[in-house]
Amino acid sequence: MTTTDLDEPARSRFSAHTTEFTLAGIAALGYVVLAATTHGSVLSGDTITAILRFLAVPMMVGLSQMAVLAVGQMNLSVGVLTGFTAMASAWLMVQVGLPAWLAVAGGVLIGAGIGLVNGLIVVFTRINGFVVTLATMTIIDGLRFGVHGTGTYQHYSAGLVALGQGAVLGVPDVFILAVLVAVAVAVFFRRAALGRQLLASGGNPFAARLSGVSNDRSLVIAHLISGLLAGVAGVITVALSGSVNATVGDDLLLPSFAAPIIGGVALAGGVVSVVGTCLAALIVRLVDVAQAQYSINPEWVDLIIGAVVLGAVLVTQLRLGRRRRGR
Amino acid sequence: MTQHTPTLSPERSELPSPPARARALPFWANPRLGLLVVIVVLVVVFAAARPAFLNVGLTIVPMQSDLSVFVVVGLAQLAALSLGHMNLAIGPTAAFAMFAMGWACQDLHAPLLVGLLFGLAVGGLVGAAAGWTVATTGVNSFVVTLALNFALLGVVSLLYSGVGDGVAFSVHPAGMDTLRDNTFSDYCVGNVCGPPVPLVVPIAVVAAVIVAILYRRSRLGREILMTGANVKAAELSAIPTHRRIVQAHLLSGLLAGLAGFLLAVDNGAFSADIGSQFLLPSFLGPILGGTALAGGAVSVLGTVLGATLTEVVQTGLNLLQFQVEKSKIYIGIVLLLALSLDRARHVIAHRRGGRPA
Amino acid sequence: MTFVAEKLVKTFPGVRALDGATLELAPGSVHALLGENGAGKSTLIKIITGVYQPDGGRIVLPDGREARFGGPHDAQRAGIGVVHQERNLIPAFSVAENIALSAVPKRLGFVDRTAMRDIARRCLAEFDVRLDVDAPVHTLSVAQMQLVEIAKALAVDSNVLLLDEPTASLTAEEADHLFTVVRRLRAANRSVVLVSHKLEEVFAVADTVTVLRDGRSIAEARPLADYTRDQIVDLMVGRTHQVVELTRSDVDVTATPALELSGVDTAAGHRDVSLAVRPGEIVGMYGLVGAGRSELARAILGLDRITAGTVRVHGAPVRIGSVRDAVHDHRIGYVTENRKEEGVFLEQPLTRNIAVTVWRRIARLGMIRRRDEEDLVRTYADRLGMRIAGPAQLAGQLSGGNQQKLSLAKWLAADCDILVIDEPTVGIDVRTRAAFHDLIAGLAGTGVAILLISSDLPEMITMADRILVMSDYRIVGEVANDHRYEPTSQAVIRMIHAATPASA
Repeated sequence: MTTTDLDEPARSRFSAHTTEFTLAGIAALGYVVLAATTHGSVLSGDTITAILRFLAVPMMVGLSQMAVLAVGQMNLSVGVLTGFTAMASAWLMVQVGLPAWLAVAGGVLIGAGIGLVNGLIVVFTRINGFVVTLATMTIIDGLRFGVHGTGTYQHYSAGLVALGQGAVLGVPDVFILAVLVAVAVAVFFRRAALGRQLLASGGNPFAARLSGVSNDRSLVIAHLISGLLAGVAGVITVALSGSVNATVGDDLLLPSFAAPIIGGVALAGGVVSVVGTCLAALIVRLVDVAQAQYSINPEWVDLIIGAVVLGAVLVTQLRLGRRRRGR
Repeated sequence: MTQHTPTLSPERSELPSPPARARALPFWANPRLGLLVVIVVLVVVFAAARPAFLNVGLTIVPMQSDLSVFVVVGLAQLAALSLGHMNLAIGPTAAFAMFAMGWACQDLHAPLLVGLLFGLAVGGLVGAAAGWTVATTGVNSFVVTLALNFALLGVVSLLYSGVGDGVAFSVHPAGMDTLRDNTFSDYCVGNVCGPPVPLVVPIAVVAAVIVAILYRRSRLGREILMTGANVKAAELSAIPTHRRIVQAHLLSGLLAGLAGFLLAVDNGAFSADIGSQFLLPSFLGPILGGTALAGGAVSVLGTVLGATLTEVVQTGLNLLQFQVEKSKIYIGIVLLLALSLDRARHVIAHRRGGRPA
Repeated sequence: MTFVAEKLVKTFPGVRALDGATLELAPGSVHALLGENGAGKSTLIKIITGVYQPDGGRIVLPDGREARFGGPHDAQRAGIGVVHQERNLIPAFSVAENIALSAVPKRLGFVDRTAMRDIARRCLAEFDVRLDVDAPVHTLSVAQMQLVEIAKALAVDSNVLLLDEPTASLTAEEADHLFTVVRRLRAANRSVVLVSHKLEEVFAVADTVTVLRDGRSIAEARPLADYTRDQIVDLMVGRTHQVVELTRSDVDVTATPALELSGVDTAAGHRDVSLAVRPGEIVGMYGLVGAGRSELARAILGLDRITAGTVRVHGAPVRIGSVRDAVHDHRIGYVTENRKEEGVFLEQPLTRNIAVTVWRRIARLGMIRRRDEEDLVRTYADRLGMRIAGPAQLAGQLSGGNQQKLSLAKWLAADCDILVIDEPTVGIDVRTRAAFHDLIAGLAGTGVAILLISSDLPEMITMADRILVMSDYRIVGEVANDHRYEPTSQAVIRMIHAATPASA
């Protein structure tokens, strides 16, 4: 018998989870502090419901970005794509007269379709994904205004809006939907063979290729999923707000990066964390709530998020450095 | 030390090597020339569709002012790209630098030039801080400048509401209005000077020339490019890579400040929303102009032409009554086409064995 | 039923890596593939395993079909397994997932983790290795990763298994277990190809041998029993096994050493390293992969911390904090072993590649004149016999030999009088190699002090005045070099074996 037993399996398995534990801890702590300092006003059912309701879209865009980060890519069109699919869905209901469920499906499919196009362009032209999505972001930015100009769609399906405003035992319907989607994404990357292939392509493209994984296919699928999730974010927005216009998605791009980065997703690819991304989105949301509760100038929020993003990455960097030096 | 190292005759020392491969691409395939051709074609097309395109006062003069801003914005990004990095915080850096300048002019009663230098210094400092963070921690510049972008957005708004009078300074230091309103023809006798060129244009031109000289001729520029080309090899070749990274980012921040100044002159005020539209154009100019995202190779001329192309397309579409928002569709398509053509050119060049220009 | 790779040809820009190499494998045998660095072994393996496509020749599979591999997976499906020299693992995945990567057990589109773990445990058990199959691979040591690579190859049921330097990071005991598996595969009528620099291993386990030299097969599928070890080395090395007589001027042994280390410890793990290189002397540092030689070079150049002892340059104690200090203050240059990644800037022109170390000197008011750079290129291209198209040519377009000269040129331009040269002739053809040796000897003749790091024993014995032997981050001895291959090489190898730990 050789002596090549790995003697610290437990520790190594936990290292991936420490980020998630830390974030959960921060979120919990933050909530407790909020509750304590506002004399419990954030503990009211209504506040919690509101917190969760407006968490759905940030979760989706964060996961959308995470999907391409998994293969080491970036998707700059996430924000505007959310807006475009929202407009497209509304258009389908208002102008084409489709029933809500069909329009919702249409919106998601359009998102997936555009994501697919992004992926195909990246693979066929071999141009850097950052640049490709910079270009498609510009195009889709304009396309949002091509649907209904600067006008607003409202008074579409009452059923859909009711769903957007509805809640089950205080948990908003849209949040439940977002959680279900997040679970599906998590299962995909953790268990599905296809999801593991994406992570293999992101983690070590050459090794993946040697084992028969098609890196091109991984790229295309990652972009497709990203577009699909942006589409989900778009239709949730339609349900949530009761009215949409072409400016939807303007301020979603940077948060779409902040959530996965804070959540511990590697920019280089190969590592994802659904839990981390969602917890990070929650933390950002809590900061928003705090801002409203304490009437803090909203600009502080941006400042804090910037600091947190930097802090999160620094911590990851330090941990990587320590592990490498220990060799 | 006398070098008597034996000179080796090439024949003995080498297997026959492939034919010399430094054949540059034919003149017409030069990407910068390609851009110029496209620009000229578009100008002709737009002018034919809308003669107002060539109206000096209505179109050409404002176009030059806008172009000056976007050329400098492109140069700011070019400085980061030269390292193979990115600067996502150009907009807020410009706003922050201009806050500093506005405050200096308003509360310290500084004259225009002193205020400008102060603003540029602040911009440079912000850039240097970002560069130092990237170089020391090894964190990706994308993330660092993303975080900086967030942080500065907040800081700038806070500062304006706290220190300034709301969202803008109303101070107009002597000379600012002149810069905005006048063109060279206002200073010339008769028609000697030719077409009116806004006074902000030479500022942008000088900036471009200085950056070009820096990267083409100076030791500093070369060492920055080598750091961008291969940071490990640069380190091993005795280049102080840490210092160069800081310096390149400092340049980026400084140019961001300058772009902010040119915009403030255009708008007539130092306001908090300076720079809010800088992110996309900062990439369009350099990328269209052939500056590599990977670092090690920049083209100032290309950036100028790229910014010109963008500006021409935008103005032309505007005149053709395209809504501002919708014209973005075409800008994006232009970018994709330009990139695909560039890619195709690269592939063809590779196959012919020529040197990529 | 044999597997044949026949008369394979493969050219890369400037280099004919394979020039009609043939490899013939009989089932139920262990076949050694030998050759020096740059002989073409890795290229041959990459063609057989589908990573490269050959420019000429063909591959015939055991069932008689001619093979056309579109990629690595095709080769695998044809029954060819491989353990490459470099690690190719997915860092975030577990040991089990890496082992099963090419044929992931699935159930309805989902990964079957239990089946995966079983496969992994089975493969590891085949050569008596116990690892936590759920551990993420990035937490393993280099040796453990190599074990995972081997298990990965075993997971695929191959007719032909190629092992490229499989025991490089393994202990003797682990290597033994591996060879038990090899023998078992042979008994099961498989073919195993073993590429190794360790001739003792080869002679212990292989039946037949093919020797590659300059991209051609010199001995093809000959029974190993027909040769002695020395005859094999003769075949591998060819002409240059005759140690070249280089005209070397005598070194003044009383002179102050140009570079001297006394009792140096480093953060990388070196302990009590002492050496001295006098002006005009070539001191060799020999050792196996992982002995710590390049790491010592890095420490000397300020890239790693020296935690104890003194470094002296021309007698004066110095603290070198960065490569900049080393080059500009002490005129020490380092020709890296990794020229493509660290030695040259592939996408930059020759002018910048050579002038990079001297810009500070040739700049006037911070500006560089292109003419000055071009003059430098012409000067050094001449002096080093570089074949170039023009000063603006990109470094990546040069052949390997010329690139290596380029990576040396910048140190000559910087007027270095101490040079640390790390593996100068890896992947370079024989003729250029001889020219390089002349070059280095010539430099020493002008008074440059040279510390030569090499794993190539004939090269070492040709060039060095003295040979230091390094093992496990310590200097274990010094061999005086009388430039006679037999006694000197034996002395060195004996010293290495005495120093190598016998068990994990």
